[in-house]
Amino acid sequence: MITAQAIFIGFFGVAAVWFGIVVFRTFSMVRSAIALLFSQTALGAMFLTMQAEFLGVLQIMMMATEMSIMAFFMVMFMMDPGGMGKMEMTHQKHFSMIAGVVAFVGAVAIAVFIDWGPIANTVADSAEQTKALGLELLGRSMLIFETAAVTILTAMIAAIAVAIKPIPREEAKDKA
Amino acid sequence: MSVELIWALITGAALFGVGIYGALSQTNLVMIMMGVELILAGALINLVAFWRYLHPDVAAGQMFVLIVMTVMALEMAVGFGVAIARFRSRGSVEMEEAAELKE
Repeated sequence: MITAQAIFIGFFGVAAVWFGIVVFRTFSMVRSAIALLFSQTALGAMFLTMQAEFLGVLQIMMMATEMSIMAFFMVMFMMDPGGMGKMEMTHQKHFSMIAGVVAFVGAVAIAVFIDWGPIANTVADSAEQTKALGLELLGRSMLIFETAAVTILTAMIAAIAVAIKPIPREEAKDKA
Repeated sequence: MSVELIWALITGAALFGVGIYGALSQTNLVMIMMGVELILAGALINLVAFWRYLHPDVAAGQMFVLIVMTVMALEMAVGFGVAIARFRSRGSVEMEEAAELKE
């Protein structure tokens, strides 16, 4: 049966995929970053439709920040950020297209032909979900959660170490 | 069989396919990272759909989503660090010009 939830999931799903395609179809890098932002926001809206309020809001907030930073980097690093010159920035297009289609068809076949078992029609309200998630993170899954925290710290240090301008050896010796 | 679950999984499959295309076809490091973001977005929607329609009583499903979101943020942070280092040393983040990394 088609419910309002199914209609909204379909609508936001089409929006997410459409903006995902636009990311690689536009020549302007800023438009590309904004299209990815819209795609991720549509995904967040899908989470909200699926009654995962906390994750939906988190997804939208995180991606808005992440894509704004990405847009800055696009303008800094691209040879033609405005896309005015319509530069071709792709390679092995045919192979990539086939790989993408095969991945899509394979995943759809799994989604459609597998028996997923009984479907849950009801879900706890958002306050209960957030409480259960908090208890999960600080209880049974604490080790995984803490590992993620240490990994973030390591990645932050690694990213800064890689990005920082290296001081020439002689200059470093003089400073010492 | 739930229509909502199937539509969510098809959306995930489509995002995964588009992401694969982007990650393999683009020559610029930042655009490749965008492809990887779409691949992870496909995984995210699947995880949320499985949690919502198959096991809404198990909070570990949401925890997995948080872990994937962490991976997305880390991929961006480290990717941009590498992009800055590459741009500083070679003046470009085009992967066609990075063949010497294979040697």
